[in-house]
Amino acid sequence: MAARVRLLELQLLVLPALLGIVGLLTIYLSRTGSTRWSWSDIWVSLVFMGMVLGTSVWLSLIGFGGDQVLFPLVAMLSGLGLLLSQRLQPVLQQDAGWATLAQRQLVYLILSFGLLWGTITFLRRLDWLRRYKYTAAVLGLALTAVTMLFGVEIQGARLWLDLGVVTVQPGELVKVLLVVFLAAYLDDYRDLIATGYRLGPVTIPPLPYLLPMLVMWGLSVLAVVLQRDLGNALLLFGIFLAMLYMATGRIAYVVAGLLTFAAAVYVALHLFGHVMVRIQVWLNPWSQPLHAGFQPIQADYAFAHGHIFGTGLGFGFPQFVPLVASDYALAALGEELGLLGTTAVLGLYVLLVARGTLIALRARGSFVRLLAAGLTVVLGLQTLIILGGNVRLLPLTGITLPFISAGGSSLLTNFLIIALLLKASERSTEPR
Amino acid sequence: MSWFVRSAALVAATSIVVYGVATIEERTDPRWLVLLVIVGLLWGISLWPATVRQARTVDRAMIHVTAVIGIGFLLVATQLIRAQALDRERIQSRVVSTGTEVVADPRRQVLAQESQRGRILARDGTVIAETRVGEDGRSRRVYPFGPAAYLAGYYSPALYGAANVELAYDGALSGRTEVRRLREWIDGILNRPTPGYDVVLTIDPELQSQADRLLGGRAGAVVLLDARTGAVLAMASAPAFDPNTLSVGTRATPEELEAARAYWASLQQSNDGRLVLRATQGRYPPGSTFKTVTLAAALESGVANLDKVYRDEGAFTVDSRVIVEQNRPDPNRVSYSLLEGYGYSLNVVFAQLGLELGAGRLTEAAQRFGFGESIPFDLPVAPSVVSVDTGYLANPAGLAETSFGQGELLVTPLQMALVAAAVVNGGEQPVPFLVDRIQTPSGEIVEQHRPRAWRRAMSPETAVQIEQAMRWSVEHGYARGAQIPSAVVGGKTGTAEVGDRPPHAWFIGFAGREEPQYVVAVVVENAGSGTEVALPIGRALLELALGR
Repeated sequence: MAARVRLLELQLLVLPALLGIVGLLTIYLSRTGSTRWSWSDIWVSLVFMGMVLGTSVWLSLIGFGGDQVLFPLVAMLSGLGLLLSQRLQPVLQQDAGWATLAQRQLVYLILSFGLLWGTITFLRRLDWLRRYKYTAAVLGLALTAVTMLFGVEIQGARLWLDLGVVTVQPGELVKVLLVVFLAAYLDDYRDLIATGYRLGPVTIPPLPYLLPMLVMWGLSVLAVVLQRDLGNALLLFGIFLAMLYMATGRIAYVVAGLLTFAAAVYVALHLFGHVMVRIQVWLNPWSQPLHAGFQPIQADYAFAHGHIFGTGLGFGFPQFVPLVASDYALAALGEELGLLGTTAVLGLYVLLVARGTLIALRARGSFVRLLAAGLTVVLGLQTLIILGGNVRLLPLTGITLPFISAGGSSLLTNFLIIALLLKASERSTEPR
Repeated sequence: MSWFVRSAALVAATSIVVYGVATIEERTDPRWLVLLVIVGLLWGISLWPATVRQARTVDRAMIHVTAVIGIGFLLVATQLIRAQALDRERIQSRVVSTGTEVVADPRRQVLAQESQRGRILARDGTVIAETRVGEDGRSRRVYPFGPAAYLAGYYSPALYGAANVELAYDGALSGRTEVRRLREWIDGILNRPTPGYDVVLTIDPELQSQADRLLGGRAGAVVLLDARTGAVLAMASAPAFDPNTLSVGTRATPEELEAARAYWASLQQSNDGRLVLRATQGRYPPGSTFKTVTLAAALESGVANLDKVYRDEGAFTVDSRVIVEQNRPDPNRVSYSLLEGYGYSLNVVFAQLGLELGAGRLTEAAQRFGFGESIPFDLPVAPSVVSVDTGYLANPAGLAETSFGQGELLVTPLQMALVAAAVVNGGEQPVPFLVDRIQTPSGEIVEQHRPRAWRRAMSPETAVQIEQAMRWSVEHGYARGAQIPSAVVGGKTGTAEVGDRPPHAWFIGFAGREEPQYVVAVVVENAGSGTEVALPIGRALLELALGR
């Protein structure tokens, strides 16, 4: 294929580039009272900007014909995440890391970009993934089991595997594996599952074909119980329901699924104390202001302090919110960029989801469509669950804010999703 | 879905959000969450994508899922708007203390430290509290005017929060007031710290110093009011604390913190209530000063007038309780008018009067003076009570004891000053106030206190008669020591028995050039007779006030 300049993408990338520079200068301004900077500080941003522009140029060079809006959105969000880590780094007391917060985030970003390039280069056809649907399912189950058995517990949830040098969160990858499996499986048995068996006037759901998915559902509930992780269970189950609905178009599955999930949550609520505590702290953090309620109370203060325009990057006090870089990234942005900043971030995610849906609608092949739609749901739903937790629309959960939260596993997985979505958009008609 | 249904759903959703924001304070109140679910459904109706009928099921389903996620984001945005704009001040001002620790927005402390906290000034501009920035760039809260320092309270964001005026007017001092001015509003939007306002007290520094000196470190309190307006000209309380050591900011050095902790510990250990502002929070048996209230009850109800004659033979038995009279001016005289009974402070006379009145009328009269209520004031006031136990007055002995100021009566010095104020103010009590105005650092007035009446304690006629009785007490009775040349003076002493320890000395009184202008209430704990200990303090203050 001939090289073709991805002009729209390059134009859109001007914004993230400006964000990086202006944001960093603001941070200097707040810290030292002047905008003088030194190369040793700014290189992190420059490396990131180089990677972003390099990626775009590289995509042009290999004649990649996929979507041109998705990547600038991701660059904007991950640039914001890098900026946040640069801003938080001086005020957070780091616990024994192998580098500073910003440097680590940069390394994760470099690896993520590598993953993006690799996926786009080496994954010729997405259809190829369909052949490995059971591999994906088994791998997903194995990862979950290994985490449950050998995982280390951080903040009450057993989601991490300690690999010596780094701790990784296999749960992040499990989401993608689940989508691959579901997309392939549902696409194969779509018609059967949609219609069911007819017995006279009654339609019986095709239980044998639903069984694998019921197993997945059971595992997600089990995850709530064993991993103490409400967020990921909600996410896995949401993905499951959404994909079932998107494959069959039958609302009855959604209703039945929601009812059983509600019943399961109700039982979990009464059987397991920690779930109850989560709910209580969500509804009234002031009932335990020094313990479980401390974090949401401090986050509320941060949001309230931000008001409409925010204090400006570097001028707020996001460090008062415990675990602000991972759990409460939105609170830090809310304090320093204000309501305008947080709504803008929400807007970026909405655009990302809308773009993902558009890619799915335009994609060729029913498996690829379902895969793209499922991956979009992963991004949208995960963002919604963590943001809902941050603004107390939902109970707080420990899952990450895609692209912005500090953390490598999450970043790598989300870049993998973006790579798959870009790949899915490749053969669609070029958007204008 | 039709255009009409869509618009109706949108209007309904908007109204519900407005209603919910207006009536439900908490963002996680279950009622609000239920409303949000309804709003989400209505948004679903109004924004449901009009997918073409011919479109494939799968396409429609994808769009539906995206729409649901989109509505989820709208709900997140709604919560954000509440947290960052609508509920902002409610969230920021929320504070909870759990015994040892206080959870509050730490930004307030840091910003208050950075922005200049307002000063606390006396009525003539004397600085009682101000923030000074040292050579090292750190700001410190200092209280240069000792006699009123504890009245200002302390400001210790790093350790002990705040007290008294520093606490009650924290909003104004740190630049947040109820009065929203355009500048403040813009500052709020742009997140600029507003400079703190100055709080100007009604305190007259000379009178305050004198009151403090007269107490001379003895436990007790003095309250001097302008009888007409209720302005507090002096409010002394001893023993007190030195706020300079306690007031440590968030950038205090370890030595300063240590000194504050040590001082705090010593305050706790001394166990003499140094952190309690006795003038408003101290409750004492009032002794004979309460006869003023009993007299008001008698005159108001018509049970007796000043000329009514009572027998006093030196002792009086009620319900096998013997009340011994030690106050008769002449042991051979056994009949006294009520006026003389008041002026000579005859317990036997007032015991009989109390029994004539009955518990109901006595309690009612006291309530009209504000007993049982918190006096509206710039600082918290402990309510004064006629009896701790509601059944106490049903017992005749208890009623008799209460009538002359013993029993279970517990009063604050501020309450007794207001009793005197009602007497000289035609029966009406003013709302006492300590803060005259709030002003900008350049002197522009933001808020000005307007004197207003609190409650009518008695009729003007009764007030005139009690004023006469108090003047008679100074001219002929046991308050003779309170006389001031060429001034109108009235008063009532009290010596409140407190078990085995020496009695509390009390004095309430008024003075003026042509008509009464100032009222005073003095209590000195366990110090002896009211005439010998409390009266000279009250007289000296009244005289000094008249000279100003």
